[in-house]
Amino acid sequence: MSALCLNRLQEERKQWRKDHPFGFYAKPARGAEGLDLRQWSCGIPGKEKTLWEGGLFKLEMAFPEEYPTKPPKCKFVPPLFHPNVYPSGTVCLSILNEDEGWKPAITIKQILLGIQDLLDDPNPESPAQAEAYNLFKKDRAAYDKRIRALVKENHAT
Amino acid sequence: MSEMSEDDFVSGGSDGEFDIDESMESDFEEEEYGTQYLDDKDDRPQKKAYEVDFSVLTENQIKTAQHNVVEEVSSILGFTQENSAVLLRHFKWNKEVLIEKYMDGSQKLLQEAGVDLTGSNKPEFKVIPGFSCDICCEDEPGLETFALRCNHRYCADCYRHYLSQKIKEEAEAIRIQCPSDGCKILIDPMSIQMLAGPDVMVRYNELLNRTYVEDKENLRWCPAPNCEYVVDCPVTQKQLQEIVPTVLCTCGHHFCFGCGSNDHQPCPCGLVKKWLKKCEDDSETANWISANTKECPKCQSTIEKNGGCNHMTCRKCKHEFCWVCMGPWNEHGTSWYNCNRYEEKSGIDARDVQAKSRASLERYLHYYNRYANHEQSGKLDKDLYIKTEKKMTMLQSASGMSWIEVQYLDAASKVLQQCRQTLKWTYAFAFYLQRNHLTTIFEDNQKDLEMAVEGLSELFEKPTDQLANIKVEMMDKTAYVSNRRVILLDTTAKGLQDGTWEFTVEF
Repeated sequence: MSALCLNRLQEERKQWRKDHPFGFYAKPARGAEGLDLRQWSCGIPGKEKTLWEGGLFKLEMAFPEEYPTKPPKCKFVPPLFHPNVYPSGTVCLSILNEDEGWKPAITIKQILLGIQDLLDDPNPESPAQAEAYNLFKKDRAAYDKRIRALVKENHAT
Repeated sequence: MSEMSEDDFVSGGSDGEFDIDESMESDFEEEEYGTQYLDDKDDRPQKKAYEVDFSVLTENQIKTAQHNVVEEVSSILGFTQENSAVLLRHFKWNKEVLIEKYMDGSQKLLQEAGVDLTGSNKPEFKVIPGFSCDICCEDEPGLETFALRCNHRYCADCYRHYLSQKIKEEAEAIRIQCPSDGCKILIDPMSIQMLAGPDVMVRYNELLNRTYVEDKENLRWCPAPNCEYVVDCPVTQKQLQEIVPTVLCTCGHHFCFGCGSNDHQPCPCGLVKKWLKKCEDDSETANWISANTKECPKCQSTIEKNGGCNHMTCRKCKHEFCWVCMGPWNEHGTSWYNCNRYEEKSGIDARDVQAKSRASLERYLHYYNRYANHEQSGKLDKDLYIKTEKKMTMLQSASGMSWIEVQYLDAASKVLQQCRQTLKWTYAFAFYLQRNHLTTIFEDNQKDLEMAVEGLSELFEKPTDQLANIKVEMMDKTAYVSNRRVILLDTTAKGLQDGTWEFTVEF
């Protein structure tokens, strides 16, 4: 791993342990050879006073060798029912796209908060899966019902 | 071949004047359209309907042009040249729009374009005690740092990394923002120069030039490999229905300014696109199926009848039916092998549809075969061109002619290739034409050119020892062929301009 990538990830971990937003978690994966800083497991809680309140959604973050020049890949595991999440679980968000909004100064905390915002505020301009997008566009009541069921399934304990 | 009639025409037309030879040699080297044959009385070559005004620019001329606009804008608006350049790029080099928008409200405009004049920080390298970089988290004492006017400070190494990623990996030059999240300030060219290494700078300047050419509607890079010229032509995208703007780059490449593909006169860009798509997709496969097959009336399997009698047994469902009337075979009673059942209206309709598909397929294949044939011949002619040079050398030693004296072979081979290219596209053009009396004239012109081209092509096949004897004949034919091409292109282009052609499709 390049020194830049490693340094930055160590610092990110330090900062996260010092302080992080309520209800979230983010930790490097524990492999056979100790911690793997390039693979993080995270949890994103649904925002208060939204449909998503009470849910906790698991997300994997994979950091490329070129991080922080290039953004990490963020993937919901299992894939999430959401208009901007690909069937593979990968999140479609402008700040996670290197040609679009990614800036090397964006922190893990900012990414996770950005994805939390996306949950209740989907971007209909860039749909990533047909099912959630169509329901969101055509039958909002049914969409809301699906989300409530989803929150129940993934309830934060 | 109708060589006789061509010869007659040429000898009658040129009146045995041989000055035409000299003009031909120079013409084909400098101006391949050979416009001078037609108007040898007029000293100035007249512009034909199919020709467009254009000029070829070098990279330096492009740079100078950018510099001039930047200077002009900076003197009008009173900005530095760097900021004027950023603003111009933001407005795709349209200085009128820029000035107008500036008059409407300068502050908003500057913000949109990412130019910040409010920030107080001067972009330069600084060493700040106790600094820790937010990107790499380095906090070594003496760390070199950099910040734009917005004062979002990062270490110089991270800045360099970021720039090299944007410029070299993402080919981005004009919209590189401050690395801070949400900050829309653009990194100005001065700062880039301070930060970037020489290899990044080379790429950066290339990209700036490239975007300039891409932003301007009247400019286009020559698409030939490794060619660095730019063609300036006033034809806009909207005019492409009326004109086929073929240009000739200084590197020798003929191409269409409208779409960038190889010369496709006389066929307009829209039709070229449609034609190529049609040839590629399998819409004609569907046509073939409906023209040559029927479905089993019971299980709907597609069946091609390739021989035998009309008593069909479907291989899949074993249904027996009559190929002629499509009715069940057992209803035929004793009139086997001679279907004389009453023609139901539905049966007639079905056969009508089939006949139409069949006709449409045949029509397409007629044009496609000729198109493909010329494409293939064009490829062979290119080999010929390579051989021509050898032939020219051989001819020199065999006949004692000088290099200049054998140039007619080269000229003929060039004309041949150009005409093949034109002929090829006349078939795509004709495919989309609505039939009327104009079509007949077009087809006559097409036929004349085609026969003339074949005649010239045939002369080329002659063995080297005979080539010297047919020099005059070959030169006459070359001139004639080239003339026929001019006539065909000219009438077609006039028709496009005046909107007299009727097409079967919209484009």
